[in-house]
Amino acid sequence: MTGRVIVITSGKGGVGKTTTNANIGTALARAGKKVVMVDTDLGLRNLDLLLGLENRIVYTIVDVVEERCKLKQALVKDKKNPNLCLLAAAQTRDKSAVTEEQLKDICDQLKEKFDFVLVDCPAGIEQGFQNAVAGASEAIVVTTPEMSAVRDADRIIGLLEAKEEIKSYKLLINRYRPNMAASKDMMSKDDVVEILSAELLGIIPEDTGIITSTNKGEPIVNDDDSLAGRAYRNVAQRIIGEDVPLIDFEEEAKLTNKIKKFFSKFLNKGKEN
Amino acid sequence: MADNIFAEIYNKILGFFGQNVKDESKNTAVNRLRLVLMQDRTNLTPEIMNRMRTELIAVLSKYVELDKEALDLNIGQEGEQMALMLSIPVIRAKDEAEIEEAIKKEEEAKKASDDAEDETVEAEDTEDEEENSEDASEESSEINEEENKENEENTEETTEETSEPSEEQYSEEEPTSPPEETKVDESVKKSIPKIEKHKKEENTEE
Repeated sequence: MTGRVIVITSGKGGVGKTTTNANIGTALARAGKKVVMVDTDLGLRNLDLLLGLENRIVYTIVDVVEERCKLKQALVKDKKNPNLCLLAAAQTRDKSAVTEEQLKDICDQLKEKFDFVLVDCPAGIEQGFQNAVAGASEAIVVTTPEMSAVRDADRIIGLLEAKEEIKSYKLLINRYRPNMAASKDMMSKDDVVEILSAELLGIIPEDTGIITSTNKGEPIVNDDDSLAGRAYRNVAQRIIGEDVPLIDFEEEAKLTNKIKKFFSKFLNKGKEN
Repeated sequence: MADNIFAEIYNKILGFFGQNVKDESKNTAVNRLRLVLMQDRTNLTPEIMNRMRTELIAVLSKYVELDKEALDLNIGQEGEQMALMLSIPVIRAKDEAEIEEAIKKEEEAKKASDDAEDETVEAEDTEDEEENSEDASEESSEINEEENKENEENTEETTEETSEPSEEQYSEEEPTSPPEETKVDESVKKSIPKIEKHKKEENTEE
């Protein structure tokens, strides 16, 4: 078996790389794929928290590299889904503890046993990014419809295009606020796609459920009622190769905006009277 | 008060039918982003932009008297393409005689700088023979480096330096502009007497 190695990156921090990784990974595993997530954010690991696996980690990627354990021993199985594994980052070391070659070697070994290897990239464009990208042949660029995030995504895309090993990259717009996009108070998905001229993989709406799901250590894709969860499941389907249409959040938002405005008009009138 | 209420209701009705009355801040974001990405994607740093500006002024000054302070050079967008936006406030167009004189001066300066380069090589060759030429050769190698780097710039600016008094004022005005430009000017000022010096040496050798 030769799996696909996909790096999830963004340039800017805080746009939702790790959340995206946890959710896409879980969704792919739910769809029956064998998935391993590799956290390369040495010193700032968080993927374990989002998956609720923080208490199960014995060995980390640095232990594998420094041969204190076998690769297989360091893989932590998910609580719910046996298809899903995590290779955690070391919390006590910095980015220099692992080299590009070592990461590439780990990815090469993992893709023999898994359908998908999802590499969680640290923020920034320094060595941590270079390491994370080293073993991957595909990339997901996570951005939000904010200027700073889009600018950093553009920089990352430039760097990815310069890498021969990266055969394709796709854009994921996270924390989308359809209400604000509909009222033109925020860039729309079309604006972002046009500015970055990249292929769109999906749009994840801003959802307070993400915070509560992180609190519980349970990715939101497991919540069948959540809109963000549905969007993440759609993204996973697209990665597998199925043609799933984008959810048109804006149309829904426009309608609710209109209804809200209509009612607020009468409410305000009532107050003035 | 009543006006405000009516305006508000009017806006709300418009809003209900999907028309936007307020400022759309996302357009500002999109435009600002486009501009900043264009600068990011090219390697046109502020230093390079400044240099381009200086060189443009030097070229244009041959033909028109322009307001150097107000000259504006920016990166912008023309449809899908990146565009350099140049706005040049012209004080007055120069007459034919002035233009011809400027071009002549430029050609002379070019010649002079070419000679100086040849000189440099010779000076270096004869370094051992002539004790006096030691200083000169050091200096001339300096010139050589500068001129290799900034050949065009030098020749154009030399024209201005040596031509009419109005042109000289330009170089005196320079301190208001970035330090890089003044550096160039200084080097040019230095290089002129050196070139003359070499010519004299050549004569005596012959």
